[in-house]
Amino acid sequence: MISFFQQYPEYWSDWSARLLLGARVSAELSLTGFALAAVLGALLAWAMKSPSVWLKPVAVSFIQGIRAVPLLALLLALYFTLPSLGLTLSGYWAGAIGLGLQGSAYVAEILRGGLDALHRGQRESAIATGLTPLQAFTAVIFPQAIRGMLPPLLNAYVSILKDSSLCALIATDELMLAARAIASESFLPMHIFLLVGLFYFVIAFPLSLLSRALEVRFSRGRKTIRG
Amino acid sequence: MANLDAFLGLLPLLLKGAMNALEIALCTLVLASVGGLVLAVLLTFSRSHLVHGAIACFVEWMRNVPALAHLFLIYFGLSYLGINLPAWLAAIVGLSLVGSAVLADIFRAGLQSLHVGQHEAGQAVGLSRMQTLRYILLPQALRVALPAYANYVTQLIKDTSIASAIAVPEIMFLARNLVTSTFQTSLIYLAVMCIYAAMILPIGVGFIRLERHLGAAR
Repeated sequence: MISFFQQYPEYWSDWSARLLLGARVSAELSLTGFALAAVLGALLAWAMKSPSVWLKPVAVSFIQGIRAVPLLALLLALYFTLPSLGLTLSGYWAGAIGLGLQGSAYVAEILRGGLDALHRGQRESAIATGLTPLQAFTAVIFPQAIRGMLPPLLNAYVSILKDSSLCALIATDELMLAARAIASESFLPMHIFLLVGLFYFVIAFPLSLLSRALEVRFSRGRKTIRG
Repeated sequence: MANLDAFLGLLPLLLKGAMNALEIALCTLVLASVGGLVLAVLLTFSRSHLVHGAIACFVEWMRNVPALAHLFLIYFGLSYLGINLPAWLAAIVGLSLVGSAVLADIFRAGLQSLHVGQHEAGQAVGLSRMQTLRYILLPQALRVALPAYANYVTQLIKDTSIASAIAVPEIMFLARNLVTSTFQTSLIYLAVMCIYAAMILPIGVGFIRLERHLGAAR
């Protein structure tokens, strides 16, 4: 057990530099993916709410389709098949777009759920007091809805961060690819993959805790079975 | 029409991959369901801080680290301890550990959504704790947990694709091999997506039917 941990100080300066660089790329990649997911997800949520006859079915089938396909298939398709159509994406951008597409389906459901959770009367009374529909949304609906949306949105980001590890398989220089490179050089895969797990954990766990704390704060308690 | 012939030529191998993926998913589902249920019951009824702490550590570690890292750790890492698992077994073990953590949360939420009176009433009519759990609490809790469970099952089928990274011959792995040997890139990935959709969409519909059926029985 002791000898296991003695390996870390020996290689630390080399490993930490490379893993931190990878972690930075992973953070950027997941944030870019989340930003794309947020924009596209908002559009999809809006399309699902719109009175247009064809927007809603298009949005719903897009979401269903995305949710029926593994992220890895999406990433490989973006990275390897788009060049034959004359569009070559770097591993980073194929990854970010794949994460964004996948994430948008989840974000859209979160936004729609958050809006649906509000009573219809909120909007009606806002309109009745003379607010325009846009004002009703920005001043009345959104501030209330965001409370319910924030915890699941944080969870969606954590998912995207974890999923960004799959971008290693399309040769994006992120944390997991750095870890694999080190593992194959040093022949210490156990050390490396524990360490890289810890890297992800250190970013993801506080966000998960925050999401849970917000959820508790925003919801009212109910007497349930415990202990 | 050349494309159609090429497409039909690729299908048998990809379908074999799909069968392998489904086998892995099924083994994982059984192990993860048992594991998740045990953890959820312990979390709900154990008063020991040690049990709660240990389960919380396990669940948080499993849920906040990518599945790919778990698979690499099990497949490549365990050889440090002299344990060399075949790739398919490493995939099942890894996905089952992650699944136990996910399902523990889902089942726990189901159990804790029940009113405390359900448990007290079971005890009051003379049922043992196990009987209360088996006949009163679990049937209700599992019904509450069903939508989340359905989500997990579809996610699991998609996650079997990650096993391709440790060379398990499932759809994604066979597809990548086919791409390097035939160069039919777009055709193969299109076929792969269709196969996944063909596995996942019916399961989603099945669970929605089951929910309705159970809801109607209420």
